[in-house]
Amino acid sequence: MFKQSKKIRLFLFTCVLVCTAVSAQNSYTISGTITDASNGETLFGASVFLKGTTNGVVTNEYGFYSLTAPKGEYTLNVSYMGYNEISKAVTLDKNQKIDFEISEFSTALEEVVVTAEEPERALLRKPEMSVAKMNIGTVKKMPVVLGEVDILKSLQMLPGVTNNGEGTGGFHVRGGAGDQNLVLLDEAIIYNTSHMFGFFSVFNADAIKDVKLYKGGIPARFGGRVSSVLDVRQKDGNNKRFEATGGIGIISSRLALEGPLFKEKGSFLIAGRRSYADLLLKAAGEDNSVSFYDLNLKTNYNINDNNKLYLSGYFGRDAFELGDSFSSSYGNSTGNLRWNHIFNEKLFSNLSAVVSRYDYDLGITAAEFDWISSISNYNLKYDLKYYFSNNFKLDFGASGIYYDFNPGQIIPTSDTAEVNPLLLDSKKAFESGIYVNAEHKLSEKLNAQYGVRISGFTRFGGQAMVDYANDQPVVYNPTLGIYERGIAVGETDYAKGDAIESFTNFEPRASLAYTLNENSSLKLGFSRAAQYIHLLSNTASATPLDVWTPSGEFVKPQLSNQYAFGYFRNFKDQVYSMEAEVYYKNTDNRIDYIDGSDLIGQNTIETEILNGESRAYGLELLFRKNEGNFTGWIAYTLSKSEQRTPGGSAGGLGINDGEWYNTPYDRTHDVSISGSYRLNDKWSFGTNLVFQTGRPVTYPNGQYEYEGLSIASYAPRNSDRLPAYHRLDLSVNYKPNRKPEKRFKGEWVLGIYNAYNRKNAASISFGQNIETGANEATRTAIFGMVPSLTYNFKF
Amino acid sequence: MKNYIKLTILFVAVAFASCTDVIDVPVQTAETRLVIEASLDWDKGTAGNNQTISLRTSTAFFETNSNTSATGATVTVTNDADNTQVLFVDQNNGDYTTDEFIPVMNQSFTLEVIYNGETYIATETLNPVPDIEEVYQGIEDGFNDEELEVHVVFQDPPEEGNNVFFKFKNQRDLLPTLEVGDDRFVNGNEIDWWLELDDDDETDEVESFQPGDIVDIEMAAISTAYKDYLEILISQIGGVGLFEATPVAVKGNCANLTNPENYAHGYFRLTEVNKFSYTFE
Repeated sequence: MFKQSKKIRLFLFTCVLVCTAVSAQNSYTISGTITDASNGETLFGASVFLKGTTNGVVTNEYGFYSLTAPKGEYTLNVSYMGYNEISKAVTLDKNQKIDFEISEFSTALEEVVVTAEEPERALLRKPEMSVAKMNIGTVKKMPVVLGEVDILKSLQMLPGVTNNGEGTGGFHVRGGAGDQNLVLLDEAIIYNTSHMFGFFSVFNADAIKDVKLYKGGIPARFGGRVSSVLDVRQKDGNNKRFEATGGIGIISSRLALEGPLFKEKGSFLIAGRRSYADLLLKAAGEDNSVSFYDLNLKTNYNINDNNKLYLSGYFGRDAFELGDSFSSSYGNSTGNLRWNHIFNEKLFSNLSAVVSRYDYDLGITAAEFDWISSISNYNLKYDLKYYFSNNFKLDFGASGIYYDFNPGQIIPTSDTAEVNPLLLDSKKAFESGIYVNAEHKLSEKLNAQYGVRISGFTRFGGQAMVDYANDQPVVYNPTLGIYERGIAVGETDYAKGDAIESFTNFEPRASLAYTLNENSSLKLGFSRAAQYIHLLSNTASATPLDVWTPSGEFVKPQLSNQYAFGYFRNFKDQVYSMEAEVYYKNTDNRIDYIDGSDLIGQNTIETEILNGESRAYGLELLFRKNEGNFTGWIAYTLSKSEQRTPGGSAGGLGINDGEWYNTPYDRTHDVSISGSYRLNDKWSFGTNLVFQTGRPVTYPNGQYEYEGLSIASYAPRNSDRLPAYHRLDLSVNYKPNRKPEKRFKGEWVLGIYNAYNRKNAASISFGQNIETGANEATRTAIFGMVPSLTYNFKF
Repeated sequence: MKNYIKLTILFVAVAFASCTDVIDVPVQTAETRLVIEASLDWDKGTAGNNQTISLRTSTAFFETNSNTSATGATVTVTNDADNTQVLFVDQNNGDYTTDEFIPVMNQSFTLEVIYNGETYIATETLNPVPDIEEVYQGIEDGFNDEELEVHVVFQDPPEEGNNVFFKFKNQRDLLPTLEVGDDRFVNGNEIDWWLELDDDDETDEVESFQPGDIVDIEMAAISTAYKDYLEILISQIGGVGLFEATPVAVKGNCANLTNPENYAHGYFRLTEVNKFSYTFE
């Protein structure tokens, strides 16, 4: 650990030195921040360029830009889709700082024009690919289930993103598992993205500024997951005036307050959300209840032009009770302190200290015990961006994450409890990363982005580790043809701070954009990523109960390579855009579970798993209409996702006889159509249409009688499929009598989820009819048609 | 105890998922296999000489009326210590019986079945079962405070690694309920094992225990391998939902020496068993 940090320091020092040394002398730099004029929110992705040149840049996550050009007279142009363009004459004879405030069209113009935000169009020159960015405004226009705006469900309307069926948490990107997504809320890792088993996401749309999903081509500054990065950023809070937004729905209500602090040198945002089904159930005399709440907090303070502090936090909790017998609660909590420091007009930096925790508590009154498990991490990261020249920009930085896993603990709640106290070994680990990434304009037509991340991971001791006969935690029994737990032959003690196992991985990332003409471009990408922590789940869908485990002696880090190729095109003055991508991704060391694996309260996870591999490939098409009264898109994905788990050192052929089998995330076809139509100032309409190939499942392929019961024998793993999933959603927005001068703005949202009441199977289970004894198949459908009504307000 | 933890997830999922219906689903059909139900249960306090082994064949999943008895097999059980062999006599209905079996505690026995020219072998050791200390009925435990549950109290032996198997059958029901447990979290403790049956909202039948109901109970001490087998088997009875482990092949201990691929379903088990009934008041 010490060695690692020394390396990091040396690396950073070298970077800064090199960058400063090669700084050109005849050019000058303009830098500054771009914010929204109405609320002071910094704008991410706004473009700044010098008119008549190809010299331009887009703002970073904190609204910062830096532009370098030879001495001269220029017109500086600032634009951001949906906002008024600003031009300003500048004389470039010295380095200077110019901040811009730009305002939305709708507040300035008589006629409201609906447009997509810039990043939602196909960006042609940037080598960035495989990115899905959603502006919160777009998300809010889409029809929703149960009246709650849901970022994750909206992302699933884009190509390459799916879920595992209704009522399941998380999301899957390009055939990857849920735990392969790095989900960040203001840079803090979120371990469980859903409330109420996936019915809602943990992201309160009122507190969110923007959402960016990297499906591939993950920038070198992110690491630790092999499938995707979902980067969600909270609003900073209005620093111009006090503002309240909120909504009242049938399931939950929310309220967000924001306003200036410290004489407009800072601002705050506080947003809360709570479901009230539990209150209604209790009032109705029902013993069982389900509820969730969450709270988003953010505040920032401008120390001076070059220094800004941000403090943000998230607290969310789900609770359910079943009579007096069971109670359970789980949730994420995060906190992040950030310091933006501008060294000079060319060097921007951000230092973040982040804590994040997920815990799951279960109280079983009937059996008099509590079950607790948790994962916590402490993360310190430093990211810098050096705007070297118009043609060359450099990102570099370092990150260290300390993990503390508590996989499970049983606490008897009375002296008479049958259960003995139990504490599974807590696990500690440290994950480090250093990276450097260049944005390089090679020629007018060719832009490149290339870099590398060097990641390290150390699993620390503090406990005894079981030694197995022949070093095999899982052994194949050739007589019976099954995998069995290995034989423990002793233990090795590891002191606290001793490394049980260490890993280092070299993760190159590169992409290239070739501009064919003004309206089209080709892009090519490669990325390699390592993942050191794994969510253990042998169920069809992850549950809040699943625990994370670090890599170590027997669980190896997942390593993936992804190759992508894309064609991007804008039509008709960017009114329409099209994106087409093909990808191939393979992942080594994807764990799978032996038949009969037992993960609950399991101290020796290694006896339940085998290491395998997975691969996914596909074609993604996205056609969008970006402007006009009618906007929307059609997305189509043709893909395959499968895995293979050979016996390896355990012997035998492996899981499913070592054959490739579909992952539960395989969807051959996935079509999503989303549209919204604005009739006039008062009325607008939205619709979603989704069609997906059914989820791979394992059905019976025979039966036999045993112990007086019909026992099913099952077909090879995931060799059957649920019926195809499809549904149509509709929504109507009504803004009553909206006077522009009035501060209070209200809106009614009527939504119908699954309008033709399709009974989509969440699962199909097979068993005996208890009266006749005959076998039958039972379908569980979660949502039929669900109407909802929400009232949103803002003042 | 982990069953409690698993059940909680299921119950919550069920609370949401109120919409279930029976549908037609096409399924694959595997090749027919031999099914060996060789449960040599030594009823505590008896001589244990009378034993039956059943041989059947598997069928297509939705098949309802085919004769599955496997006849013409040679079935023997050998005491591995003194090599005394007992022949089970073919009754031509799938059952093979004997009245000469001599159970020996903690002794391993080998089953040999020769069927259709293929030889199946399994070995298992006879385990002693703890005494039942008390059987009573209650109402407060379980998921529902209004339904009756039956309790069986016994003492778990002090060393870890004991497993129990319960079979409960309400006499008016068609199907039994199987349960299995290990002492991983409760080693050495007095165990109060209970069963509550809940009414299914989808049917009009009263499935819960009612006063006057007689429940037949079998409690056996079983080997860890058999417990692992039953755990998978039981978890897949009645189907597998979204939050349950992906269904897998359940392979028993009857290996096919002639053609290993063609393994048999079922199990050769040897247990001491407590058999009793309880009448609800």
